[in-house]
Amino acid sequence: MSEQKRKRSPWIKRILISGLVLLVAGAVVIYLIFTQKFSDTSATKAEFTVSAMDFLNEFQKNDSLANKKYTEKIITVNGRVTETEAADTTINIKMTDSTTAAYIIFAFQQQHLAEAKQLKVGDSVSIKGSCSGGVHSDILETEFVTFKRCAINK
Amino acid sequence: MKKSILFLALATAASVSFAQTKKITTSATVSFDATTKLDALPKGDNKTVVASIDTKTGGVAFESTVKSFSFANPKMQEHFNSAGWMDSDKFPTATFKGKITNLADVKFSTDGTYSATVTGDLTIHGVTKPVTTKASIVVSGKTITTTSDFAIALADYGVNGPAIGAGKVSTDPKITVSAEFK
Repeated sequence: MSEQKRKRSPWIKRILISGLVLLVAGAVVIYLIFTQKFSDTSATKAEFTVSAMDFLNEFQKNDSLANKKYTEKIITVNGRVTETEAADTTINIKMTDSTTAAYIIFAFQQQHLAEAKQLKVGDSVSIKGSCSGGVHSDILETEFVTFKRCAINK
Repeated sequence: MKKSILFLALATAASVSFAQTKKITTSATVSFDATTKLDALPKGDNKTVVASIDTKTGGVAFESTVKSFSFANPKMQEHFNSAGWMDSDKFPTATFKGKITNLADVKFSTDGTYSATVTGDLTIHGVTKPVTTKASIVVSGKTITTTSDFAIALADYGVNGPAIGAGKVSTDPKITVSAEFK
């Protein structure tokens, strides 16, 4: 019996060690996933660079096609600031199509709020951010496209 | 001819009056806090919410794009938008449409802080339920600032992800809505 135990023990030991290694590796992976933060948008490469009015036209022409193309992607939008709007303790920047009142609105990443606060109506600017897609507003009766985690593209 | 001019004048006056009483912002904020003792991650906010308030009728409305909710953690944002949670591809917006029921107690023409009761329909995840909540309304010159917080039962809106059952997401998250109308 003790002879059998001696023969089995190296295998049991190996299985236990392998299990422990897997457990620790799994815990590390879970820890990394759940402590991960979004990277700084200014350091992220944009998948598309567009002009604000062309971009809005795409959404107004075919909302679902434009959403498939741009939603949850990092996009650089070049355009003119038409409005700055206080949002809680932060500020949002808007680019509006004066003909249809459709607009793009940019909410900034915490570390880029100071840059956003410097912008004034009429400024030409390049903004990079994560596109959250466009929807038709029943309140405004127009299309609007939202961005989150934005940064001024320098 | 005189009748037509009178009608036109009345219509213009009515439209100007309507425009003056309805205020709109496109930067209202909705915060969502579903944290539990087991998980501090499920909370986020959307600062690009469209909101309106009509000081004459007491009408209040909000429209929030679900994908605009921003989270600190990428995985949490992915879970929030997934089919098991908000299913934002299928239900892209969350909306509220209601009224201030004690409009006589809120003096929009006089600076001050007022307590309002708002009742209306909240639509989340394609499900519409009646909601009644208290709201604070601060009038300062031409600026009206509104804030309200309330809890919703996720199960009422058909949101039943496995993380909720496991206690990692609150079954009744706190929602905070704030808007500044100028």
